[in-house]
Amino acid sequence: MDRAFRRRLELRFGDLLSGPIRQRHDETEIRIAPADVPEVMRTLHDDPAFRFEFLADLCGIDTGRTMQVAYHLWSETTPDWLRVIADGLSRDEPRVPSVTFLWKGAEWMEREAYDMFGIVFEGNRDLRRIYMPPDYRSFPLRKDFFIADDAARSPGAGVRPMERTHVPANAAPGGVVRHSKVD
Amino acid sequence: MSVVGSTWGRLTPPGKALAIALPVLTALSIGLLAVVVLLGPAVVTFLGDNLPLVRFVVAATAVLLLTIPTAFLIIYMEMKVIAFMNLRIGPDRVGPYGSALSVVHGLKVLAKEDFTPTGADRIVFTWAPVVVFLASVMSLLVIPFAPGLFGQDFNIALLYFFAIGGLSVVGLLMAGWASFNKYSLLGGLRSAAQVISYEIPLTLSVVGLIILAGTMSLNRLVLDQSGSILDWFVFRQPLGALIFFIAATAEANRTPFDLTEADSEIVAGFATEYSGMRFGFFFFAEYVNVFIISALTVTLFFGGWNAPFDWPFPVAVSLDPASLGIWLLVLVAVVPVAGTLFFAAPLWVANSRLPAWQALVIGFVLFNLAVVAVGLGLAFVSFDWVVGLAWFFLKTYVFVYTFVWMRGTLPRVRIDQLMNFAWKWLLPASLLNLFVTALAVVILAK
Amino acid sequence: MPTRHEPAAPYEIPAHPSADDPRVTLEEQLGVFEPIPPYPPRTEREAEFYTLRDGEMFINMGPQHPSTHGVLRVVLKLNGEQVVDLDPVLGYLHRGVEKLCENADFHQAICYMDPLEYVSSLFCEWPAVIAFEKLLDVQVPRRAEYIRVLSTELNRVASHALFMGWMALDLGGLTPILYSFIERDEIVEMLAALTGQRMLFNYFRIGGVNGDLNHEFMSRLGDWMSRATEQIEANLTLLNENEIFVRRMRGLGVLDRETALRMAVSGPNLRASGVPFDVRRAHPYSVFPELEFDIPTRQEGDCLARYLLRMDEIRQSLRIIDQCLHEMPDGPVMARVPRLLRARPGRAFAAVEGPRGLYGVHAISDGTDQPFRMRIHDPSFVNLQLVPLLMPGNLVADTMAIMASLDPIMGGIDK
Repeated sequence: MDRAFRRRLELRFGDLLSGPIRQRHDETEIRIAPADVPEVMRTLHDDPAFRFEFLADLCGIDTGRTMQVAYHLWSETTPDWLRVIADGLSRDEPRVPSVTFLWKGAEWMEREAYDMFGIVFEGNRDLRRIYMPPDYRSFPLRKDFFIADDAARSPGAGVRPMERTHVPANAAPGGVVRHSKVD
Repeated sequence: MSVVGSTWGRLTPPGKALAIALPVLTALSIGLLAVVVLLGPAVVTFLGDNLPLVRFVVAATAVLLLTIPTAFLIIYMEMKVIAFMNLRIGPDRVGPYGSALSVVHGLKVLAKEDFTPTGADRIVFTWAPVVVFLASVMSLLVIPFAPGLFGQDFNIALLYFFAIGGLSVVGLLMAGWASFNKYSLLGGLRSAAQVISYEIPLTLSVVGLIILAGTMSLNRLVLDQSGSILDWFVFRQPLGALIFFIAATAEANRTPFDLTEADSEIVAGFATEYSGMRFGFFFFAEYVNVFIISALTVTLFFGGWNAPFDWPFPVAVSLDPASLGIWLLVLVAVVPVAGTLFFAAPLWVANSRLPAWQALVIGFVLFNLAVVAVGLGLAFVSFDWVVGLAWFFLKTYVFVYTFVWMRGTLPRVRIDQLMNFAWKWLLPASLLNLFVTALAVVILAK
Repeated sequence: MPTRHEPAAPYEIPAHPSADDPRVTLEEQLGVFEPIPPYPPRTEREAEFYTLRDGEMFINMGPQHPSTHGVLRVVLKLNGEQVVDLDPVLGYLHRGVEKLCENADFHQAICYMDPLEYVSSLFCEWPAVIAFEKLLDVQVPRRAEYIRVLSTELNRVASHALFMGWMALDLGGLTPILYSFIERDEIVEMLAALTGQRMLFNYFRIGGVNGDLNHEFMSRLGDWMSRATEQIEANLTLLNENEIFVRRMRGLGVLDRETALRMAVSGPNLRASGVPFDVRRAHPYSVFPELEFDIPTRQEGDCLARYLLRMDEIRQSLRIIDQCLHEMPDGPVMARVPRLLRARPGRAFAAVEGPRGLYGVHAISDGTDQPFRMRIHDPSFVNLQLVPLLMPGNLVADTMAIMASLDPIMGGIDK
């Protein structure tokens, strides 16, 4: 837990943060609005006081109420991991600017987030599905993904009885929003 | 139901088979006997008048028949030797120590479905393996296996050899093109480029040898190397031998130059769309090629069928069985029994659980093997062609083993490195060899 | 309510013709298979890749191929023998592990992590276990930490030995892979004596490990350590001194420092390009601050550098194993953890240095006994992005060499 780092972040990004900086164990977490992602990332990457040159992870998160994109960064200047959460993406049309202008290696990670959640990364040159087939119509990791519906629409379902997808009689889409305590 | 019908119904299937086979076989044998008796003398006269033709047909047949067991043996050897180099065991279930595996593979390959892929040019697709196989097999006609044992001896034998070997390029291109498959096309083009590039150093490296010996006839070349081991051409043309060996490895598509069949890159190269016996042809052709280049190396540089030292054999062993008289009958009656007992007795004594009849059977088999061994030994010492053949095969298989050894040890080179090597290193080296040889001949002649 | 698909008859012909259905005949004959997608390009990169210029052609190195490291499909755009561009297509091994973990307990989620990078399974369990321990505020006993380091370093040696064999096999040598399997077999038997399994170990638990060191493991380990160094050196001379190997690997697929950082790669691929980033030293976890080892780094960034670097790492791993054995403290191997684990709502990120790079897990808990979101960051996934970058300009034969030198494992790439 690096308190000095927290103070530096508050000083530098005070007005851009959309929530308190949280620290737990060896991680520091900041929350920003999706529109601020390019600016914040560029500052973290280029500013000699921060120098977060290494992108460790990029993932999408569906909290049940909103969508988020979490970036994990590492720098020599602090012993903590920095987690940047672009919070507040809508569940119907989540859009975030892409960070591929800084890290080209984020391209596939953003493709995966798009494939699994439907989050559109504006500026990613190659935003197509990566795991699921290109004509797939659902987003699997969303909390409102109903597997029976998806299986019924599957192009792989065949003709013979063994190849049909059997939906249980009591199947119903699980609630769209889990009443979770994840914020 | 007639008598025949009811009898037929009461037969077991083997009985039925026998009931059909026996009359048919009898009829066939009578027919054959009639043909032989009636036409025999005329045929024999005809053959006697055209002896060279007969000789050629016999040689061609023998060569074609020789390729199959040779390929089987080399395939088995490769599997076993590479396995031992990989610290594995290799085939050891089919037949004693797995030796029947190649035969079984051959039978399996015959049993596979025969198809041509959609869109492939059927005629070219079918004839490609034939061309490749024939190009390999026809080169065997001129190799001297032993004094007096060769297909043809003509004075441009070496030129014929290289010309026929170059036919395989046509076969490869046919295979690559007619398969209607991009992988095959790439593989076929690679193969063709490789074989053509390495043909030039191959032929040039031998020209020095031709200058030294003054003849292109393989038979004469081997005769020129008779004497002792120091007469072998490898000591007079070491650079030529080395270049020849390397270029021949590339010609035969062996590791380290086997990128046409590199299955980690282009699946099976030009042969991707082939299966069953069509692929079997390519496979056989490759292993026969290995045998051929080993045989040619041995013929050109390592003395052919000559022994490396002065060999006191063959001696004339005169056995006159007729002089024994009545004792011959006694011998024929007593020796097998005595031999069987001789071989069976130790087994029966050593292994108390072996029933007597089993010991006798094993003894009889061993006695037969002993007779064959003695016969071979006698043939070895009395016929010069047996001696020559034995030395030839020994030396050839040493080189076959070397090729297999290289396959188990070395990785493969890339296509551009391969081309580089052929054109920038081997070709100038073979030219250098040629010039030095020519210069030496001119200077020493003075 | 979703509409259920009620078939009108027991056997129903689907709307689209199926090549599997014996009653459906195809009117047009199947022609040449071109790996071009049947829809117009949807992204810039797709448009750029799938337009052919003069003299170029597509070749599909399909999911079934004797050489790709698992089920990976690569579409190559070739100009003769030279690769102009490359598009990897993933998803043939996608198992939905992240979704499965959301419906499983914390303990069950750890079992799902093993088959991701099946060659080095312990490295897949480790960050999950550390993340859960952070969420649950569990303190791991020191002996358990040392055992974790010991077993994972053994696994690293096994993984790098397999890499050596695989690299040689892709270049054409048939023998080194069998020698490397001998190495790997010894280590895997050792770990089987310790964990009960040869490959997908399922050994780490939240709060420690599943069992203490036993006699058979220690005897096998001692036996192996006494001859490990010479054995590894002997295996290495087979390749390092072979002219053909070295000439094929040198100067191939050069990755420079800036590109490596931009591509977010980690592990030996990054260190071979001159960046001395190793999670064990950059962000130390477990007992690594107490252990002495170096971080080998090379500057050239070509395939040969990556290969030699992994061999150096084997030597460093042997050092670490040695130290672990000598400094192994006594004590319990498992912390006292309640049977039913409920975490406070919150997030945790943990990363370890696997044989392929930074292996990370971001776990989000919502107060129940199941992780709400389990994000797995796999290094091979990011490393594979290097292939379309490094390949253009090289020949087809080098595709396999470069891909092998990056050491991807499809289980992790496809999750």
